[in-house]
Amino acid sequence: MSLSKKNKLIITFLLVFSVIGFAIYTYAMQPPTAIENKKIDFSGSSDELLLKIIDHTEEWQDKIVVVSGEVTNIDENGVMLSSKIYCQLKQVSDLQKINPSNNISLKGRIIGYDDLLEELKLDQCIIQ
Amino acid sequence: MKKVAITLFLLVSFSTFAQKYYTKTGNTKFKASVEAFEPVEATNNSTTAIINVTSGEIASLLFIKAFNFRVALMQEHFNENYMDSGTFPKATFKGLISDFDLSKISSTEEKLLLKGILTVRGVEKEIETLATFSKKEDKLLMVTSFGVKPEDFNIKIPKIVSNKIAGTINISLVYEFIEKK
Repeated sequence: MSLSKKNKLIITFLLVFSVIGFAIYTYAMQPPTAIENKKIDFSGSSDELLLKIIDHTEEWQDKIVVVSGEVTNIDENGVMLSSKIYCQLKQVSDLQKINPSNNISLKGRIIGYDDLLEELKLDQCIIQ
Repeated sequence: MKKVAITLFLLVSFSTFAQKYYTKTGNTKFKASVEAFEPVEATNNSTTAIINVTSGEIASLLFIKAFNFRVALMQEHFNENYMDSGTFPKATFKGLISDFDLSKISSTEEKLLLKGILTVRGVEKEIETLATFSKKEDKLLMVTSFGVKPEDFNIKIPKIVSNKIAGTINISLVYEFIEKK
């Protein structure tokens, strides 16, 4: 049995719309960009970063930075750099690769200045 | 003589330290889902909280932008349209845990009353809820939840989506504190 021209047209339209619909749905439902793929807004040492953003830390929220410094403390979820920046790791398993007192470089997102503990807070940190 | 008195006074005031427990990675979750529609929920794993175990005072702070959603667009709408996190980057809580006695908290759960003020978008709201405390090795665990309404903080939900967002938003906290040395 062969389809009439009208039916072929309907089927084509339905197919095209489903593809478009699926594409829109996939785009709308996509998860946030992974930190690995995010553009870097600053790269430097922990002292340089703090100097740059002090007095206006709100503007630096959600910015992606690559910061290097000495590991002054390690806890279950992240590390402290130069006693002033807390970096919460994206993958807790990365902790095994970090040794105290070493200098490391991390890429992470600034979430804000924690005034309860008086430190800059970063999350989604990955080892560079 | 005056110098000795002043020095003694200073020594005494510094020696009455307060023992504190804290966390930098407290888990705060909110759920505003309505059945049959997409889940409206997010988790913030970067909550900072400090408990003064001597007085029972608790203070916590979280950054709105650190709430992680599964869908990027939802996260964007949450921050830009509803929470205005550019203007109000933090949510804070300051309160008191009634009858808090660290020595009485063990591996068995203990329910205590938590009262305080939650500040979101610059608006303060009194919260009163029961919090469950327990000790796991040398960690202090606090689990609690409470409900809030978007109106409480002047969050306006547009009519188009009002049936997709629950009237009462459930906020649940799971904080694991360690001793501040």
